[in-house]
Amino acid sequence: MNLKEIREILELLKGSDVSEFELGRGDTVLKLRRGPANAPVLLPPVPPAPAPPARAAEEPPAAASVPPKPTYKEILSPIVGTFYRSPAPDAAPFVEVGTRVVKGQVLCIVEAMKIMNQIESDTTGTISAIIVENAQPVAYGQALFHITPE
Amino acid sequence: MIHKVLIANRGEIAVRIIRTCREMGIKTVSVYSTADRDAMHVRMADQAVCIGPPPGVDSYLNVPAILSAIEITDSDAVHPGYGFLAENPPFAEICANYGVRFIGPSSEAIRLMGDKIEARRAVQKVKVPVVPGSDGAVTEEEEGLRVAKEIGFPVIVKAAAGGGGRGMKIVHSPASFINAFLTAQSEALSAFGVPDVYIEKYFDNARHVEVQVMGDRHGNVVHLGDRDCSIQRRHQKLIEESPAPALPARVRNRMWKAAVDAAVGVNYDSVGTVEFLYVPDGEFHFLEMNTRIQVEHTVTEMVTGIDIVREQIRIADGKKLRYEQKDVPLRGHAIEVRINAEDPETFLPFPGPIRTCIFPGGFGVRVDTAIYPGYVVPSTYDSLLGKLIVHGDDRNEAIMRMRRALDEVRIEGVRTTVPFHKKMMVNSDFVEARLSTNFLEKNRP
Repeated sequence: MNLKEIREILELLKGSDVSEFELGRGDTVLKLRRGPANAPVLLPPVPPAPAPPARAAEEPPAAASVPPKPTYKEILSPIVGTFYRSPAPDAAPFVEVGTRVVKGQVLCIVEAMKIMNQIESDTTGTISAIIVENAQPVAYGQALFHITPE
Repeated sequence: MIHKVLIANRGEIAVRIIRTCREMGIKTVSVYSTADRDAMHVRMADQAVCIGPPPGVDSYLNVPAILSAIEITDSDAVHPGYGFLAENPPFAEICANYGVRFIGPSSEAIRLMGDKIEARRAVQKVKVPVVPGSDGAVTEEEEGLRVAKEIGFPVIVKAAAGGGGRGMKIVHSPASFINAFLTAQSEALSAFGVPDVYIEKYFDNARHVEVQVMGDRHGNVVHLGDRDCSIQRRHQKLIEESPAPALPARVRNRMWKAAVDAAVGVNYDSVGTVEFLYVPDGEFHFLEMNTRIQVEHTVTEMVTGIDIVREQIRIADGKKLRYEQKDVPLRGHAIEVRINAEDPETFLPFPGPIRTCIFPGGFGVRVDTAIYPGYVVPSTYDSLLGKLIVHGDDRNEAIMRMRRALDEVRIEGVRTTVPFHKKMMVNSDFVEARLSTNFLEKNRP
């Protein structure tokens, strides 16, 4: 699927009242949704998952009688390494605050000894916070993102 | 110049290493599993990195995680302590390839001495006497039986990739040999990945005497005296002392020389220990060599006044030994007892929270520990709470001092082996130095 084709599709949709559109070609999927604040996003083909998926943790419940319902899920680093927000130094970040992500979607890279491990979300929802700055070291179990689950 | 050391270990030895690094002006990095978040070694280091969940294989044995921690902290050296990755040749080799100094010997020395059959061959080449045994691995049980009959029962079948008391089967008579041999082979395969076994004569009443050696990268090797570690339970040492008592001077000198010859023979370039079996009023025989710092290095430090961790770091930094043999002092007598979180009668492990924790002090007393009040001893790792070491002018004074020091220990919240050690310090066989590796089977003190 190339840029020309995508532009053509966008043009087609502009005039219509279609709110959601999905087109699959080979192992590429184009999903478009019309809605507040969302630009069309081309999802990359899901890679054969070389890195273990990120663990999500619930907020620890308060010591009081009824723990408050958690408002976000933490995405924790499954390995020690360096956190990168983009696939390459000059590329756009995988996600921003407000990005809707689905389970299995790559959120970031944690580089360990020259291997770029793609860290996937295990939750579908919206990124509500990015905890670590780009190119900072992270340890096992360190919080990387907060996701507001759907 | 080593600037920053990452300690790839935990507990008391990690604390021990951090202390010497501090004195040398070297920055320290601790690694820890999620079970060790509140551990002392984490709080004491300049930096700490969580590397995985509790199981050793996912944390303290997790080479990629440790290498990654070295990378993100910019450490230029790693100290493996004892156990875990301390005698792991691929780890030592990977560190060398990454340009990180491994504070220990070369991976070749680790590999050679880690193969117990090759180690025997290597020291035999330099005329060190070995325990009478098979010439290399024995693969067929019938051949094993023939060899065992030649050596003379009782014999012990040992895993070539074992060591440290693991993967061994004692066989008392020909009738039980074949079964024991086959079991030993399959246990060796599942525990160490290699089914190779060899056979040695088993000495019922022998003493475990070891010599501390130290070599640099310029070919210099010295010994730092000997230790007796005969008091063991299931091959785990409980009490160690330096020097080994009741050893004829002739035997002691030849043992020292054999240990140095063995180290020189394998170009040994760090701190290590050569273990022997001494048959009282008889001969001594090479058992194995440990290519790491050991738990009981402390008693040697007490009689020599030499900081062994400091020397390890200096050697790893490429420096020459600053002691010639004649400069190594050997003064007085030191005893160490290992205080474990175990029932003092059954030795079953008893992890849990430490409520009270008071250790002795005063003249001639040293304590190496990583526990504190409120600390929860995890169940995932070994049960060592701390080491209590005393020094005296002679063995009698050391024993009296140990009795005094043990009386001061107050640890509540977990069961400990302190009552066991108290009994040992008044046991007449122990006090009169009638030691042997089957001491505990013979005496329930």
